[in-house]
Amino acid sequence: MAMREAVWLPALFLTVVLVAGLRLGEPVALVPPSLFALVLATMLLGVLVQGGVLHPDALMHQRREPVANLNGALVLASLFLASAQAFTLVTPDAGLFRGMVSVLLLILLMQTLAAAPSRDRLLRSLLITFGSAFLLKFIVLAGLSEPAGGRMTRALQALFDAATLGTVMQAVPPPAEGYLAFLALALLMIGLALLPGVTDRARRLSAHDGLTRTALPEPVE
Amino acid sequence: MSGGHLRHPRNLRIVIESHGLSRGGIATLRYNHSMTEPTIRVLGLIGSAAYAALIGWLYLSQPQTMAQVAGGLAATVGAYHIDQAAFSEGLRLFHEDRFVEARAAFARADGAVRDARTQFYVAYSYYRQGWHRLYHDDALLTEGLAAVDRALALAPAGHLVVEDPGLSLQSADALKAEIEAGLSRDWSDLNPLRLFRERR
Repeated sequence: MAMREAVWLPALFLTVVLVAGLRLGEPVALVPPSLFALVLATMLLGVLVQGGVLHPDALMHQRREPVANLNGALVLASLFLASAQAFTLVTPDAGLFRGMVSVLLLILLMQTLAAAPSRDRLLRSLLITFGSAFLLKFIVLAGLSEPAGGRMTRALQALFDAATLGTVMQAVPPPAEGYLAFLALALLMIGLALLPGVTDRARRLSAHDGLTRTALPEPVE
Repeated sequence: MSGGHLRHPRNLRIVIESHGLSRGGIATLRYNHSMTEPTIRVLGLIGSAAYAALIGWLYLSQPQTMAQVAGGLAATVGAYHIDQAAFSEGLRLFHEDRFVEARAAFARADGAVRDARTQFYVAYSYYRQGWHRLYHDDALLTEGLAAVDRALALAPAGHLVVEDPGLSLQSADALKAEIEAGLSRDWSDLNPLRLFRERR
């Protein structure tokens, strides 16, 4: 447990922060997370806690040693930054789809928060969310925006660009950037699965305990 | 054998039996195991903090090449040195007015772009190459301005003087002012006496 909390989780999440921020254009740049991504990352932390993927008491608690609490704080901080960078990564850089994907991610997180899924279902749901956004940006939009080879295809592409008022076409990322994005998202999902959480059985017992406490009247002497 | 492995009672028993440990031995094993966790936590904390600091530095400095990463890290601990032979070659080419070759040598000498004096010469080479009696090459002067800004940023206290008798402008501030004057557009550009100006 100590090894996972002190070494593996911070290393995983910090690697996500590094890899997800890398843009291999000309010049190479490390892009910080957008403001909206910080909001989404905050919501994601709430969703993770609610879904039992993350149990904050297992990372920071007054009964733990100070060093252990520092390890926990580093895990939480790196998780937050990694999440923010992952959201920035899967959001298109410009155009109509930037706004659309941002709103879609917000709605999906709010829906997940309202649905309160179990740990396993939440992890599956996040995999689908990040995976879909990755497909949209790095495969669909990159494919649409890629410079066409033939004259006819180029003409059709120009017509499409004009018809959509240039709101769909994106700057095509270098192929290696897609692979790095895939790696970053895979590492994030592995990190999320490794977080100290609450089992579904424990959550059910805890919920049942809460219900009986509120349902039963106080004992009368 | 790792502490996690020893946590399983069966594995612990195997170790105790194979080593023929007494009760005291068991106590020692438990003591060692309890010592391991804080060590892991402290080492993990130091390692993670160093990794986080490295990533923060990369975000702030935005290096473009691995040489810049390595040079930047070396400069952080005061261990960065330029390639003196390449610098001397660059200086010789610079004084022969072979500016493109000189810049290539300076780039070899200061691969991480961390040396103020080399960046000063790079800026000077752009200035001299871009200076013409009738016009100035704005693209080269702009490169020169960027290089002199780098030199000033790298110089201690933002002040740099290079004592070289072959240079009319020996301070980075004077070079910067000259390049900025070359880039500006005003009525003095139409002055015919401008034809008699000398390159600095």
